[in-house]
Amino acid sequence: MRILIVEDNKKTATLIAKALKKEGFEVDQIHRGNEVLPALQQTTYNAVVLDVMLPGQDGLSVMRDLRAAGNSTPVLLLSARGDVNDRVEGLNAGAEDYLPKPFSLSELIARIRALGRRGKEARVLMLRVGDLELDAVTHTATRAGVKIELTPREFRLLKFLMRSSGRVCSRMMIFQKVWDYDFDPGTNLIDVYIRKLREKMDEGFEEKLLHSIRHEGYLLKSEREEEGEK
Amino acid sequence: MTITRKLGLAYTGLSTVSLLLVVWLAYHEFVVEPRELAQYGIRDLDRDSWPEVIVVLFLGLTPILLGLGWWWMNHVLRPLQTLTQVLERIDVQNLRQPLPRTMNGDEVDKLSAVFNAMLERLDESFHRIHAFSLSASHELKTPLTVMRAQLEDALHEKKEGADTFAEKAAEMAWLESQLDEVHRLSEIVESLMLLARSDNGLVPLERRAVKLGDLVREAVCDAEILAHAQQLAVHLISYEDLLIEGDRHRLRQLLLVLTENAAKYNYPRGRVDFALEKIGEMAELTITNTVQKEVSPNLDSLFDPFVRGENEFTQTDGCGLGLSIARWIVIAHGGSIQLSSDSARSFTVRIRLPLLS
Repeated sequence: MRILIVEDNKKTATLIAKALKKEGFEVDQIHRGNEVLPALQQTTYNAVVLDVMLPGQDGLSVMRDLRAAGNSTPVLLLSARGDVNDRVEGLNAGAEDYLPKPFSLSELIARIRALGRRGKEARVLMLRVGDLELDAVTHTATRAGVKIELTPREFRLLKFLMRSSGRVCSRMMIFQKVWDYDFDPGTNLIDVYIRKLREKMDEGFEEKLLHSIRHEGYLLKSEREEEGEK
Repeated sequence: MTITRKLGLAYTGLSTVSLLLVVWLAYHEFVVEPRELAQYGIRDLDRDSWPEVIVVLFLGLTPILLGLGWWWMNHVLRPLQTLTQVLERIDVQNLRQPLPRTMNGDEVDKLSAVFNAMLERLDESFHRIHAFSLSASHELKTPLTVMRAQLEDALHEKKEGADTFAEKAAEMAWLESQLDEVHRLSEIVESLMLLARSDNGLVPLERRAVKLGDLVREAVCDAEILAHAQQLAVHLISYEDLLIEGDRHRLRQLLLVLTENAAKYNYPRGRVDFALEKIGEMAELTITNTVQKEVSPNLDSLFDPFVRGENEFTQTDGCGLGLSIARWIVIAHGGSIQLSSDSARSFTVRIRLPLLS
């Protein structure tokens, strides 16, 4: 995947680029808003990380010009303003995702990965990770054929994690998708929910599916399945 | 006593006195005097009574003039009343709205002009303060972003590095603790920015029908989860399906702040009770919880930024902005929030929000 980073603070841009390269992305960086359109016309990128406050031309107007020109490269907006309205405005201008500063690098990477997969995710009604199965129609989850009793919120949480299986989900992504919160509540609520969920679905099984990744988030995956895929 | 009332009383008194005088004079001139004169056989009509009539009529004008004076005074003072009403409505949000001017150069008009100039200066300094807090939090975010990214990067490198396990563990713990502090700083900056923006009326609220009952039930679920570690008993004592108008994200934030506080300042095996009721045209939500440390007598100070309670059982690592934000959300929804404590070991938050009519 080739990513374009547009961020006027060179230190931030370099740090993002370094982290993304480490994850195997190809990265280019520019620092002015008016350089975005020419760059995108020259090279095809899989995603753009775009700061809102930019010299030359601000991110939101770049965003609008981009969509007006018929370019549909997925864009993730970065903003230091961190207001709900900025988020709404950014998404209305055609951005795929929005991340308020200061963000964590792992959060950014998780979101860029999600950008790449967007569109490919069909609304699957039957989800499966290893021997864990979830039926979105009957609202039931089973592990190795045994039914797991879940509260509605635990069910939503599990569904989200299974939909994004194999990818790290940050707390903020979970808050947005499962809790429908528009802000980072800065609580350990999710950790407690995850602990509960883990007790219900992983306890007593040899293979643990739900993994915590410190400072990054949570990951649901089955090693066996991956081996099978290879 | 207002000026209007004082002058009104004076005018009424004067009018009454002058009216009585005129009546007495007229009675004396036209009834008593002719009768007395008649006793001496003099017919009043023979006398030239015109000057008397004129005097009485002239004096008779006094009450009318006083009445006119009263009307005129009211007329002159009316701009002052308007001024008072407009001034009463002024707060930080609408300092810019100028006071109405009559432009006739009288004292009231001059007063309005002076007030307008003062409001403009106040507005300017308020704006400067808000602009300062906004740009300060904005400026703080850039270095925070860099610090956070660098720490994460360093942590990542350490993890992959070739150091021995013990060296790695110590340095990683150090980096992680730095990262936690940066995270905490970011949260404070974020909350401060929200408060600065809300003070300035810069955080518009969504106005939609919200099922408050559903939000409260969600909050109870969250409370049960948060209460698990301390084995608190969470109860929903009463519940009604109530519809209010507002911003569901902000209302959720409000409930989360309160729910978290109720769990955070509790003691093991304590209680948290939720109740949602309809009181007149308002939805009333009360959250009562047992508290570990005695509640400070000055409850309202808890709404101030950076004031927070203490608890030795659980880690109270908040930044002391939760209740400030909670109060802003309630007031922005046209409601009221009250803290009370009926005994040293219980704490109640009572919120009233207007129902959707």
